[in-house]
Amino acid sequence: MEFKLRKAEARDVADILRLVKELAKYENMEHQVELTERELLEDGFGETPCYHCVIAEVNDVQVVGFAMYYLTYDPWVGKQLYLEEFYVMAEYRGLGIGSEVLRYLSDLAMKLRCTGIMFVVAENNEPSMQFYKRRGAEDLSEGEGWRLFRFDKDSLVKMAAPSEE
Amino acid sequence: TGLNHLTETSQKPNLPWELAEYEKVTDLVKIGQKDLEQDGFSNTPFFRGVIAEVPEDQKSKDGHVKVGYALYFFSYSSWKGRCVYLEDLYVMPEFRGKGIGKALMSKVAQLGLEVGCTQMNFIVLNWNKSSLEFYTRQGCIDITEKLGYHWMSCGENALKKLANSDPVDES
Repeated sequence: MEFKLRKAEARDVADILRLVKELAKYENMEHQVELTERELLEDGFGETPCYHCVIAEVNDVQVVGFAMYYLTYDPWVGKQLYLEEFYVMAEYRGLGIGSEVLRYLSDLAMKLRCTGIMFVVAENNEPSMQFYKRRGAEDLSEGEGWRLFRFDKDSLVKMAAPSEE
Repeated sequence: TGLNHLTETSQKPNLPWELAEYEKVTDLVKIGQKDLEQDGFSNTPFFRGVIAEVPEDQKSKDGHVKVGYALYFFSYSSWKGRCVYLEDLYVMPEFRGKGIGKALMSKVAQLGLEVGCTQMNFIVLNWNKSSLEFYTRQGCIDITEKLGYHWMSCGENALKKLANSDPVDES
């Protein structure tokens, strides 16, 4: 089956959201997706995009996979490409789409003078862990003891409030 | 201390090197002042900073008034939308315990909320007990522990290999 990769366009937001929800479902967290098509449109295709997407398409019309990424910064080594989301529909796996997406992103990262690609993987997601480790990814949580922390909206609001002197 | 004022930085701090020393990894710092200037202060900034400054009469033993910083950028969650990523947070040892770290985080939280962020993420080393406690006190969650997310990286060598890989060459 022939597939091709291309940069996402505004018209793709419905498919992007569909695939985001499919991936969340695969991780048993579908109810956590709060993003809407409208936000994806404003945030991805306005004046200053917050994210970028590459789309995998078959038969020139069917969107079957995507990767969402943006550029981040490590003050020790410079620009990084952060891979936020990466998904290929179940029925289209095993065709090399995933590998091709990763190759596309690596090529792009190098052109943009990034010194690495970063991302998170759930430790119980064996297939994904193996996919990435086979290609040279390092598990920094295991190897170096890094833990990912998060402030959610409520904690953020509390922290932003000026403290009483 | 008296007044600590926090300014969004237009100056380039030397502080990333002190933080690297604290984390015991100075040989991993590969970029220099020129890179920071270009990447942070040109037309397309890849990061933003907040600096903590103390008054002249409270400057550090070796004469610094810029005593702490936070380096952050905006990121994106495919589930929740806009977020802020806190890359570095550091206060010089002689100025700790005065609420400067908290004030820096508060400032970044404000700046994030202002542009519609609903989350702030960052990473912490598992041996860094004082930092782990500080952050938990501020109300955040250890995502690695709670959801099992591991922080992964493809460094330069892996990147080059991936970019040049033959699509048919699969293991």
